[in-house]
Amino acid sequence: MITFNGVTKRYADGTVAVDNLSLEVPTGEITVFVGPSGCGKTTSLRMINRMIDASEGQILLDGVDVKTIDPPTLRRGIGYVIQQAGLFPHRKIVDNVATVPLLLGWEKKKARDRAMELLERVGLDPKMAGRYPFQLSGGQQQRVGVARALAADPPVLLMDEPFSAVDPIVRTSLQEELLRLQAELNKTIVFVTHDIDEAVKLGDRVAVLRVGGHLAQLDDPATLLARPADDFVREFLGRDRGIRRLSFVSDEGVRLRTDLLAPAATDVATARATGEPWLAVVDGENRPLGWAFVKDLSESGTLADTELAPYGTFVSGRDSLRAALDATLLSPSGSAVAVDETGRAVGAATREALDEALATVASGIGGPSRGAGAPAGGGSGVAGGAAGAGAEATGSGDAAGRGADGLAGGVDG
Amino acid sequence: MDEEPLVRWDWIGRNWPTIQGLLEDHIVMALVPILVGLIIALPLGLAGVRWRWLYQPTVGVMNVIYSLPSLAVFIVLIPITGLATRMTVMVPLTFYAMAVLIPAVVDGLHSVPDHVRQSAVAMGFTPLRRLLQVELPIAVPVVLAGLRVATVASVSLVSVGALVGRGGLGYLFIDGWQRQFYTPIVVGIVLVVVLAGIADLLLILAQRLLTPWSRARGSA
Repeated sequence: MITFNGVTKRYADGTVAVDNLSLEVPTGEITVFVGPSGCGKTTSLRMINRMIDASEGQILLDGVDVKTIDPPTLRRGIGYVIQQAGLFPHRKIVDNVATVPLLLGWEKKKARDRAMELLERVGLDPKMAGRYPFQLSGGQQQRVGVARALAADPPVLLMDEPFSAVDPIVRTSLQEELLRLQAELNKTIVFVTHDIDEAVKLGDRVAVLRVGGHLAQLDDPATLLARPADDFVREFLGRDRGIRRLSFVSDEGVRLRTDLLAPAATDVATARATGEPWLAVVDGENRPLGWAFVKDLSESGTLADTELAPYGTFVSGRDSLRAALDATLLSPSGSAVAVDETGRAVGAATREALDEALATVASGIGGPSRGAGAPAGGGSGVAGGAAGAGAEATGSGDAAGRGADGLAGGVDG
Repeated sequence: MDEEPLVRWDWIGRNWPTIQGLLEDHIVMALVPILVGLIIALPLGLAGVRWRWLYQPTVGVMNVIYSLPSLAVFIVLIPITGLATRMTVMVPLTFYAMAVLIPAVVDGLHSVPDHVRQSAVAMGFTPLRRLLQVELPIAVPVVLAGLRVATVASVSLVSVGALVGRGGLGYLFIDGWQRQFYTPIVVGIVLVVVLAGIADLLLILAQRLLTPWSRARGSA
């Protein structure tokens, strides 16, 4: 845990970069410092590893005042990723990554082995190891920067706008990579950015700072989006706050209908008998194939013979309500296919079901939870039972393989 | 009356031991100042980066020295370092080398990108280790570029020393001019040019070996 205790940074000319900042950065979480330029976010970050020394107050690293630790020693125990990666141009990639282990006095062989392991971990081809930084793209350099910061396995990682110099597509993949790594490594991360979208995407907690180094609000992203503390935070959060907040609401409350799933082998007459305008066609393994528009079906044959419209899916129990809503908007039927982690259909979410879920969110009953929540497909008798009754299933369930039952039930009923 | 040919090959053959001696003398007088100049320029350059106020005065003094005509400096030095000694030639050449190399060292250290220096600090390099393992290696291409200029200039300037009695291959120019005899002059010019060319090539080679990481590689 990193604790800021009334930390102030005042420069010789009287400028105050950080003003009486007190906050806690919990162990194993990503805490994002976000704000406009001049808000002191980078200064606050650099005071942790003493690249800048605080004028007043204390910064405690697991209870130890950083000012009592010799700076090089302190820094070797804290990973650091900088905007332009800051790789050493004269060293090969593998040696760049091995920097801190070598400073810590590891044997060269051990340091290099560790570096190779990390290159792989951040998704880089081992062939890159022998290259020089200028031979890599910006995104690859940034991955090397992350690998280098992790090389000595520091418990704390400081990241200073690490992804702001790369293009949006690469940035997105780097952000996802970071979340994936963090799920494995559970580092205590302080991440600085000026991009509020990046902040709410990556942060377990987001500290919004205003110019002059004042803390405006510190909350988890869902709370931040739902209840900005003041006009400054509201304005900084920008447009579409309501929609973006849905990213932090789980899709668990969305009612799923299994009776809309139909195996490709279903014959046309049976399909018509459902009375539904659209049916989601699934293959023998229950993987979605597409939507069949029942009115357009030929008189005989099975659903396999018909032309299927593309479908939108979301992963039940893992994706956010926003992803589910998005999937319904992308589907011609107005419903989205919910799949489990293995890609098997577990039901369909109709617009009505989405409406109900959104109403719950709006009324504040739906508890916020991170999108990356419990894994789906964990199996639950609820969905199975509901499917067996030919009715509707709620929540993520192991309804895979029961779609046909659902349909049959609907027809029989 | 015979027309005097541009080159009398037999003269070269007869005088080769003398020419060889002059060549060796020339090499020593050209390169020792470069080496000494570099050794002095490194700490002065570092000081100029560390204490910025020091840099402009240092460069100013060096430029004044560089602007002094070499012959005048040689003559002034004779009472101190002696007539026709290597020292009389090498001392001013050392200052000329420094005039080129101090700014090269400073520019080289300034060529270290700020984010690289910052990340070295953040990784936990001590200041000395950062200098030796990060900043100086990155400064090498710029310093070598300065070294090439200084070396070629030094090889060419040694000849002027002939006017105070010690100019390596420069002696051949004086000798040929005094006797209206072209061969030594041609031999002198060719050897000075070849010497400068070889020194430059060696430095280019050194640059390729020392800095395989430099982007400029291939365009050099």
